[in-house]
Amino acid sequence: MRAKLEVLNRQELDDIYQTAIDILEKIGTNIEDDEIIKLLKDNGCRVGENKIVYIPENVIEKCLKTTPRGKINIAGRDNSKDMVVDGNQKYPYIISHVLMNYYDELNNNYRTITKEDMKRFITISDYLDTISGVWMCTLMPDFKKMYSFYEYELAIRNTTKPVCISSFEPDSIPPAYELAEAIVGGKEELMKRPLTVAFCEISPLTWNKYGCDMLKATAKWGIQPVITVETPMGDTGPATFAGNIAQKIAELLSGLVIVQLLQEGLPVFFVVPLETFDMRTAQICLASRTDYVYGCAVGQIEEYLNIPFFSPVSPDSKLLDMQEAYELGFSLLPRILSGNKGIVIHGLDQTHAINNELLIMMDEMILSGRRMIDGIDVNKETLAFDALKDVAGKMDGDRRNGHFLNHKHTLKWFTKEWVPRRDAVIDKYRREKWIEAGSKSFLQRANEKVEEILASHKPEPLPKDIEGKIEEIYKKYNIPKV
Amino acid sequence: MPDYIKPIYNAVLNFDIDLVKKLVSEAIDKGIDPIEIMNEGLSKAIVEIGDKFGREEIFLVELMVAADACKAGVEIVKKNILDSEIKAEKPKGVIVIGTVEGDIHNIGKDILKTLLETSGFEIHDIGVDQPADNFIKKAVSIDAKLIGSSALLTTTSPNQKEIEKKLQEAGMKGKIKTIIGGAATNSEWAKEIGADFYASTATEGVKIIKNYFKGE
Repeated sequence: MRAKLEVLNRQELDDIYQTAIDILEKIGTNIEDDEIIKLLKDNGCRVGENKIVYIPENVIEKCLKTTPRGKINIAGRDNSKDMVVDGNQKYPYIISHVLMNYYDELNNNYRTITKEDMKRFITISDYLDTISGVWMCTLMPDFKKMYSFYEYELAIRNTTKPVCISSFEPDSIPPAYELAEAIVGGKEELMKRPLTVAFCEISPLTWNKYGCDMLKATAKWGIQPVITVETPMGDTGPATFAGNIAQKIAELLSGLVIVQLLQEGLPVFFVVPLETFDMRTAQICLASRTDYVYGCAVGQIEEYLNIPFFSPVSPDSKLLDMQEAYELGFSLLPRILSGNKGIVIHGLDQTHAINNELLIMMDEMILSGRRMIDGIDVNKETLAFDALKDVAGKMDGDRRNGHFLNHKHTLKWFTKEWVPRRDAVIDKYRREKWIEAGSKSFLQRANEKVEEILASHKPEPLPKDIEGKIEEIYKKYNIPKV
Repeated sequence: MPDYIKPIYNAVLNFDIDLVKKLVSEAIDKGIDPIEIMNEGLSKAIVEIGDKFGREEIFLVELMVAADACKAGVEIVKKNILDSEIKAEKPKGVIVIGTVEGDIHNIGKDILKTLLETSGFEIHDIGVDQPADNFIKKAVSIDAKLIGSSALLTTTSPNQKEIEKKLQEAGMKGKIKTIIGGAATNSEWAKEIGADFYASTATEGVKIIKNYFKGE
């Protein structure tokens, strides 16, 4: 039986959804773009004063119908590694997010991220089976502008897995699009395996100029938009879960409606955190108790809407310490068990920093989470009656002396049931042996694993024609080399 | 390694006991020299398996099953040759092992036995619940250079002291070395009773035993 966490019943989900519809219809969305306001008006929405647009349920329903439901493809260089979200996946896709700083705990160094840091981090993500792809949003100061293009190029150089980008500059979309087109092999193929770009709506219920420009840019280029909303509880969203989630759904649906009216049939998905506004420190907390509760529900909400609803895991801890492990574990596990289709891992320090050793910790946590999803199989073979009979039948005179250590049943099932690691990253030695091996902390062992991966794993180099295309793009858009 | 031996070697490395039996029988039927099957295929494979376990590349169950696969192959070979023909490599050392009197725990002992056999030692396992005398008699009769005793209970560990006493009485102390292990033991206990070596795990035991026989 598969493990599955469920914390909302059907009526509760219906109530949350109906509230979202009411919000769009009766409270309305503030839209800072006349072209989009006109588009909404032309399609049956009511426009009030101060650029507030009221979207009626029938428009939402119509746009949900034209959205490819429950099916998206997040592409990279190697199509066999694409993230296909179509209801058939067994485990959540895990995406490692590349952020603006690198934290080197072993050398006590917190620095603005460098290209070398990114390269190493993406290479490890490319190597680990548990990581499905990378998300780029670093705003590295050296890039100055055209961040999304630079970040996209750097990512595809170092992994054949899917790459998503976040963008704050509509201008950086065309060169990134051309590169994506070259990678997948043409415009038509890019419709099936699109470039994925994320951007934000502003809460409560506002599409500002930047958001509107991004909606238009992605629709114009046929790029798969990822809409993000942030409604910290008690800040830009209600302090109650039900109301906060309803507001999020309303804001996401407002984006979905605009996307569909701009470009009917464009696949779209959401990345949705649940933050709390900490009334003690006046700070937004990411991996807090509220996030863990939301994590329990996110898979159900996603299934209800039938639109991928990726969720971030974003520890607040500044160190790779016990708080970090606690926040990471408590944030990740409910998402995995609730059936969330995709999880984006921010490293530490409230989405500000990444760390390579943390990927090794994630790898271990994800393996355990996957195993928990698999649950417990009960059948003739796993009940092991025959194996026990065999072992118990081994006698030394009048004394049983059998054990399972050399039994075929153990050989067959041990790795399936336990999914043991074949390395020593997680310490399972007795104390004396651990001391003999250097009394190393998890961080030291993970660092050794990181260096081992970096020394042995070389991501597949870019084909020559893609290198040529990159050169062309630099020239065509007059992008300086960094 | 000849092409006709490689599949047997690989079958041991893949822990496939049925395939080992099948391939060894087929090879013998085809007229391949049984001694070559044993020395080139089975022995080399089990040494590789032991090394892999030592490097923590395979799990204990894989080592144990591979050892059984190898043994099954050797049994078939032995049926097809005369004892005098067995020119297998000289063992690295001859060792007697067992669990002391009053103690019926065998798993640790069995693991050590398998590990030592895969490392090329000749092991004589006298079983569980064995009086001190039996260890010494066996060691003397086969000219073993080492006695390994296991004790899992604090009530039975004094019987390891008994082995030391009996060795002394037989005038064999020092000529036959002793190694102790098991949950009821530690290095202080080994020192107290005068045992030559102490191993806290089977893998540590193999390391110590290899070192000892290297110096022999």
